[in-house]
Amino acid sequence: MSLAKRPLSLTVNDRAIGPIEVPETLMMLDFLHEHLNLTGSRVGCGQGICHACTVMLAEPDGSWREIRTCITGAQFFAGKRVRTIEGHAERDGQGNVVALTPIQQAFIEHFAFQCGYCTPGFVTAAAVLLERLKRRPIRRSEVEGIIETALAPHICRCTGYVRYYEAVRAVILATPGLVVG
Amino acid sequence: MVLPRRWRIVLLAAGLCVVIAGIPALVVFLGAFEHSVVDAAVEAPLTAKQIANLAPKGRYIAAAADCVACHTTEGGAPWAGGRPFEMPIGTLYATNITPDPETGIGGWTRAEFQRAVRDGVAKGGRHLYPAMPYVSYRQMTEEDVDAVYAYLLTRQPVRQENRRDSLPFPYVRQFMTFWNLLNLPHDVPSPVAQKSAAWNRGRYLVDALGHCGECHTPRDITMGVIPSRYLQGAVIEGVDAPDITPEGLARLGFAPNRLGDFMRSGMGPQGVMAFAMYDVVQHSTQYLTDEDAAAMATYLAGDPPPPLPAFAAADLPAGTKDNGHRLYVAVCGGCHGLAGEGTPNVAPPMTTNAALRLPQPTNLLTVLITGLPWRDFPHGARLQDMPGFTGLLTDQEIADVANYLRATWGGRVPDVTPATVRGMRPASDK
Repeated sequence: MSLAKRPLSLTVNDRAIGPIEVPETLMMLDFLHEHLNLTGSRVGCGQGICHACTVMLAEPDGSWREIRTCITGAQFFAGKRVRTIEGHAERDGQGNVVALTPIQQAFIEHFAFQCGYCTPGFVTAAAVLLERLKRRPIRRSEVEGIIETALAPHICRCTGYVRYYEAVRAVILATPGLVVG
Repeated sequence: MVLPRRWRIVLLAAGLCVVIAGIPALVVFLGAFEHSVVDAAVEAPLTAKQIANLAPKGRYIAAAADCVACHTTEGGAPWAGGRPFEMPIGTLYATNITPDPETGIGGWTRAEFQRAVRDGVAKGGRHLYPAMPYVSYRQMTEEDVDAVYAYLLTRQPVRQENRRDSLPFPYVRQFMTFWNLLNLPHDVPSPVAQKSAAWNRGRYLVDALGHCGECHTPRDITMGVIPSRYLQGAVIEGVDAPDITPEGLARLGFAPNRLGDFMRSGMGPQGVMAFAMYDVVQHSTQYLTDEDAAAMATYLAGDPPPPLPAFAAADLPAGTKDNGHRLYVAVCGGCHGLAGEGTPNVAPPMTTNAALRLPQPTNLLTVLITGLPWRDFPHGARLQDMPGFTGLLTDQEIADVANYLRATWGGRVPDVTPATVRGMRPASDK
């Protein structure tokens, strides 16, 4: 039996992809790994709890949301724009990383991760949060609460939670325009 | 000024009418028609030894009657009351039923407790509102009510004043005499000799203790349950409490053995207990013994149960089918299985899911739009949250996936429109 296929076109990390014939029932995580060789998004629980597989999905208004790729079909992303963990850092023409994002740098400086398996998900969550705060700054008193809410769904089995949290707070407080008053 | 004779006669007649109508009303108001099912023998207090002996049984009966769900407020001390109940005319608060002598029921006699539970009249003759399901509890046996009384008296006393209701005027309580005249059965039904012991026990568990009909039987304009539509389903807190008559349960795919398991574990082939029924499982039905869970299922599913109707999927327009299937694979199948088979301990199957077979799409749409929180279930089980799709899918997409689900695995005509979806979205998302 062969799997029914459907052509898929989308934008990944600002690069137009496709159309590629992919099975109708393929999950996005498998598409990223097997078809695009973007293996940074992790397979963790495979049931949408650990959030190690999250990527950024662009909304029609240009804002971003997190989405779990292990439980979301690849065809759902047809015509949409996503940013995976490979699309955060700045790269040169050959694709070499030349500069990390402030949040990636902060995770390193805070020794936030140990094994690193959950890190792509935490980078995604923090990046979505920072994008949101750029559009809608918050009061200083709301910072801690909003970081907790943003990071809460992500599981880190090395229990780097406090360091992830402190790193995100440091970036928010050091970035002009995210906090008002 | 002297009124013309004709007017005097009219006034006199009107006055007579008021008096003639008023006297019976006054009689009802004062409670002359109220009938207690409580025997005078309960005036004798229970001895300390009787209380100690009855308390363990009372723990079980109180669980089966789900007392704690209402008599504890979120984050509050067990049995100390305070949980609010929003009514169209104001808010009621569940009362403190710990044995604190001043704020709880420590000063209540056995007879006062019996009359509160079975007649709806509290200590001092104060009428209870039927938010306290005394219409159902009226069918409880004297011994079971004694057992609950004994159990409560052996709880930790908590000093917590009862909150006053916010109803517009204070004399409403006494008007419950009219409500009781209409809606409180005079007597309680006897066991049915032709039916099995399990069926009769099941009826007691369903009607007296579980008070299932308080939510599953629709109410009339007086807010009394409609006996002719017993357990045929009602709308409660914005969702459908399903038809749980034997025929209704058969249409949802419940065989008696499945139903008993479902009541105790809160999950099974027919899905996962949600909305208010989650709390019922959590506080009450998970504690039923094997025999009582089976008896409840025997009564509800019928003895003998009607045959389960053959399932047939409903027709679906090709476009909806294609869209619905694509969306199902995109956002549902990762957890619920690409063929709707479900994933154990993750997400219930769709193929046999009762929520898809309900006549109305309300419950399905509520779950699709707003999702469900993660929950603990009996025996250490836990299910992750079901995400709501209000921000991710359009009205048309939610309608398509709902129609796909209902037609494919519910056998229901795919009649959900984008307007229906729109109407159910939270106000913040319209």
